[in-house]
Amino acid sequence: MIKFENVTKIYPGMSSPAVDKLSFTVPTGEICTIVGPSGCGKTTAMKMVNRLIDATDGAIFVLDERGDMSNVLKIDPIQLRRSIGYIIQQIGLFPHRTILENIGTVPQLLDWDEARIRRRAEDLVTMMNMPVEFLDRYPHELSGGQRQRIGVARGMATDPPVMLMDEPFGAIDPINRNILQNEFLRLQQEIKKTILFVTHDIDEAIKMGDKICILNVGGFLEQFDSPANILAHPANEFVEDFVGADRALKRLNLVRVEEVMNARPPLIQTTQNVEQAAGFMAEQGIRFAYVVDADRTLKGYVRVRDLKGKTGWVDEFVEPAATTIPLTTSLKDALSEMLVVDYANVCVVDAQNRVRGLIDTNMIHEAVIESAAAAEGEEA
Amino acid sequence: MQAEKTQTKAQNRFWRELLDGWMNVLTQPNLDTFRAQRARADPLKTVLGVGLLGLVLGLWALAIKPATLVTEMRTEAILIDLLRMIFFTEADFFIISLLLFFIARGFNGIGSFSQQSYLLSLVTVPLGMIVVAFLFVGEKLGLTLTAVLNPLSPVGVAGIFVILFALYGFLLLLFALQAAHEMQSSAVFYTFGTPLVAWGILRIASMFAAGEENVITTQWAFIADQWAKGTAQELLLGHLWLVAFSVSIAVVLGVTIGVFITWPAQRPRLSHLVILIPLALFLLLWAASSGLLGEGMADQIASTTKDWSRSLKRIDNLYFGPLLAIVAAIIAKPAAVGMIVAVFTIILYALFLAGEKAGDLTLYIAGIILTIPSVALFGAMIKPLGIGPFNAAFALILYAQLPILRNTYTGIKAVTPEIVEAGRGMGMTEAQLLLKVKLPMAVPVIMTGVRVSIVMLIGIASIAAYIGNDTLGQYIFDGITRAQEKRYYAGAILVAILALAVDYFLGWLQGRLTPEGLKGRREAA
Ligand SMILES: Nc1ncnc2c1ncn2[C@@H]1O[C@H](COP(=O)(O)OP(=O)(O)OP(=O)(O)O)[C@@H](O)[C@H]1O
Ligand SMILES: [Mg+2]
Repeated sequence: MIKFENVTKIYPGMSSPAVDKLSFTVPTGEICTIVGPSGCGKTTAMKMVNRLIDATDGAIFVLDERGDMSNVLKIDPIQLRRSIGYIIQQIGLFPHRTILENIGTVPQLLDWDEARIRRRAEDLVTMMNMPVEFLDRYPHELSGGQRQRIGVARGMATDPPVMLMDEPFGAIDPINRNILQNEFLRLQQEIKKTILFVTHDIDEAIKMGDKICILNVGGFLEQFDSPANILAHPANEFVEDFVGADRALKRLNLVRVEEVMNARPPLIQTTQNVEQAAGFMAEQGIRFAYVVDADRTLKGYVRVRDLKGKTGWVDEFVEPAATTIPLTTSLKDALSEMLVVDYANVCVVDAQNRVRGLIDTNMIHEAVIESAAAAEGEEA
Repeated sequence: MQAEKTQTKAQNRFWRELLDGWMNVLTQPNLDTFRAQRARADPLKTVLGVGLLGLVLGLWALAIKPATLVTEMRTEAILIDLLRMIFFTEADFFIISLLLFFIARGFNGIGSFSQQSYLLSLVTVPLGMIVVAFLFVGEKLGLTLTAVLNPLSPVGVAGIFVILFALYGFLLLLFALQAAHEMQSSAVFYTFGTPLVAWGILRIASMFAAGEENVITTQWAFIADQWAKGTAQELLLGHLWLVAFSVSIAVVLGVTIGVFITWPAQRPRLSHLVILIPLALFLLLWAASSGLLGEGMADQIASTTKDWSRSLKRIDNLYFGPLLAIVAAIIAKPAAVGMIVAVFTIILYALFLAGEKAGDLTLYIAGIILTIPSVALFGAMIKPLGIGPFNAAFALILYAQLPILRNTYTGIKAVTPEIVEAGRGMGMTEAQLLLKVKLPMAVPVIMTGVRVSIVMLIGIASIAAYIGNDTLGQYIFDGITRAQEKRYYAGAILVAILALAVDYFLGWLQGRLTPEGLKGRREAA
């Protein structure tokens, strides 16, 4: 848990505050994104947690090892920083140290023995989907995205309960950023850290945050709430402008396909013959269907018109599916994927490529209407 | 009548054009002048111009012959002498021009032989005459060519002018050739360079083949002889040890100061009182040995240190001898040691407190120190430090400061702020940040500074021979006082070789010391 209580920061020689009477609480195990226009005090707010900057007024509390909330000003800054994960843009890796030494920075400061550091580093790079050989490389020998993952791994080296991330995915291209965001969200499901995540990108804030803290220039808190609530009920005009006119569409970011998909889709088995398959499709009133084998692994799809007047086994007529969607994909990503391949419906698969459901544009539409209604209902 | 008039007119024009050509080249020495002259090329002008130069050369040869010889010569003999000179000058000129012409053709030159020779003659003839005039005057004043060319001679400045003048002439020849053939400047260099290099190689080879005495063989013989006697090694080791000793202290001092002036200003703390211990000790040493605590004590210290110093000097080791001599010289001056260390302790502490506030001032002062002529600094330190290695080492350490501390300063400052912030945010203390992040990343820059100062000190250490140090500079100073060319050339050659070798070694060492991760990295903007 991280708790801000009336925190104010006025830089020396400045008349107006950079952060103004900020109060909010990040519950244990949740991600809170801080978002706002450039210069609104996001970084300042974050750095006050590990005392890279000291607050002028107010207090910040974090949960310590004993499970008590303690004021960060009462903790020795060096000790405090070593106990909090700190992740900044890729430029923060030490160029003269190998990946192993980079990840091992804090463990080394805490005097872990070498074998333990290596073991931990190996676990971390594996967790980040990278080969352990990377450990002996130097940062300049990695791609931007890989460096970014190492940055995250370094922040988690000692498994700190609280982490601070300042635009951690800021310096990479949108495609890789999306991949990293998804990877990190999946990871967070397991590690359940308490995270303060700074970004200037409202889409990222909505996607990553369990809570969003929207700041205005001058460090003034405009709204602190869950993404769904902020999208449904922007507190004021500033927030409304900031989240953008397409906030209805943005809500698609908040729902995962597994929540709305048809979990019992009509499927054809590879063991069926052509007549059976054609009959099944006619019965269901569909013009094509996905084909799976005995353990529901996706094989592709068949079309009614391809089967017309043919005999034999279905496998001969199977065409490979152009795309599939993982269970945890957001509706927004699913929709964009469907628009790209121009399919009316797409298979939702799990990590082993087994079909878990089917999603189409109608389901997405209904989900949007439902979530809007739910939000209205809450308000009422 | 009419015909005669046009003829004289044409003759006038001919001479005027020739003269114009010379004047243009002398007053507007650029490529376009030569391009403009190319159109006026005329073999007759070339032959006449070069012949004129030959005549002047012949007259000069006569003029510098002892007067008695000339008066005894008959007119025919004089005329034959002159004609011979004219003929040889023409022959030399055209043979060289022909050679250049063929080489230029090889490099895609397009001009004709007549154009090329004319443009070359526009440079050689007037400049040749000017040179002859100077030589004539010089000869009359009793100056030999070697005396003029030697920068260490009393008329050394004249030597520099002669060299500059020769370079200027060479530059003009480059223009002439380029204009004649409209070729690239690199091709012009190759055209001139090929015969020069070939000639040089042949000349040296023939000198050695004939077993003839020449600059190279005599120089070589002298150095070999010095080497056999062991003098050269002694001076070489003396030189190296003096530099090595000074640099090792200078690096510690310079890097420390460089680090101090990159960190934020500090407040004095009680714990800082530790520095009082060395301060007090060394002030005490100074006071005691300069008699402030009673003559008896001073005498006692003096006799003890003299004993130590003498027993150190008595150790006779070729390799470590010079180092022992330096230590002995320093031990022999306890008062100066005490004072210097005490003063530097105070300076370092002041810099430690002032931190980056003192940055500009410190770099400025180090810069000023570097501008003090070494002879002046050596001279000024004779009174407190005496002559010999103590004095030399002190000056060298001061000189080495600027490159080392400036590079430490810039190297540390250049570390990306994000990287420092990352380290700090992960809980590194300021000391850990310095030792684990800033200094390793600054190593390549610091090493460059050390390298620069070492090579610089090798040069200055030669001058330390002036205050009685056994360095290679001995050869240079002895050579000047005894007017032995080969001696000071030997000094200069050995110092140059030493500097090059050490620089090469340091380059290798720098490669080894640069952190692996910083090598492949092109400076990310
Ligand atoms: N060290 C400092 N001294 C004085 N003012 C500062 C300092 N650091 C930041 N500021 C000011 O405080 C305000 C907030 O800065 P901060 O870095 O927190 O903004 P930010 O929200 O992180 O912006 P960005 O999105 O551009 O990173 C800005 O107006 C900035 O100019
Ligand atoms: Mg910022």
